[in-house]
Amino acid sequence: MVDPAAGPFLFDTSAESWLMRTTRSEVLNWVRAYLSSYQFEVSALTVVERIRGYSLLWRRAPLQRRKLIEASRISYLRALGPVWRLDEAIAVVAGEIMALLPDPPTPPRRSHRVSESRQERLARWRFDAMIAATALVARMPLIHNNASDFEPVRSAIEQSPERFPGLGPLELIRCASLT
Amino acid sequence: MSKNSGGNPIKKRRTTLTLPSDSLVQAERIARVRKVNLSTVISEALSEGLRAHAAVTRSEEVLNSYRAAFSGFTDDEVAILDGIILEPVKRH
Repeated sequence: MVDPAAGPFLFDTSAESWLMRTTRSEVLNWVRAYLSSYQFEVSALTVVERIRGYSLLWRRAPLQRRKLIEASRISYLRALGPVWRLDEAIAVVAGEIMALLPDPPTPPRRSHRVSESRQERLARWRFDAMIAATALVARMPLIHNNASDFEPVRSAIEQSPERFPGLGPLELIRCASLT
Repeated sequence: MSKNSGGNPIKKRRTTLTLPSDSLVQAERIARVRKVNLSTVISEALSEGLRAHAAVTRSEEVLNSYRAAFSGFTDDEVAILDGIILEPVKRH
């Protein structure tokens, strides 16, 4: 269990949606308690992923559904708290992470109906590296629902501390362990 | 005259309140210890309560906006909102 008063935390793209779609009352109460003291801090890369997602859904949707997608996008932007920009320090750390782990640790996502291309998987992996770099530089625990990507980053940083002087360890908190 | 955080004088109004005796006794005790008048203690406590209430209201507004941002989407659509760009599998 994580004390919501122990924030602020950085929220990964996967964490925002997981926390906001949950029906578990104890998780919602955790979010309420957190929001009464802090805001959801995110990386600019999360905003890139999210807004691209809304835009892609809008383009693919029939006319009558576009209204809901646009209303959802506006709600998201209204709720958005502080956004960490990709500055020099974060870019340097992200570059180190990408050099340590050039390839995504898991294959592209696929099911019987839909699949993710290799290029998209690589792009998503690099976004995750930049989000992890933001958490390291901001010295904030990263709340996520994507252990398969972030745990290898944490391990790699622990094994090469000389490439991350004065930083780390990367503190990870899974959404499911918040309550 | 008291001033607010912007350096402007705070407007004051006289009123009559009915308060729980226990709270009033506690407030009077604090006023004696701090050597301030009862109005100051009550005013500070009220400000603190109003700040907490505003924080809860704001937190509920943000939560409602956030939840609206993700409602009405399928799991595949939420994956796309999470940056996982999924395309229909091409059948050969």
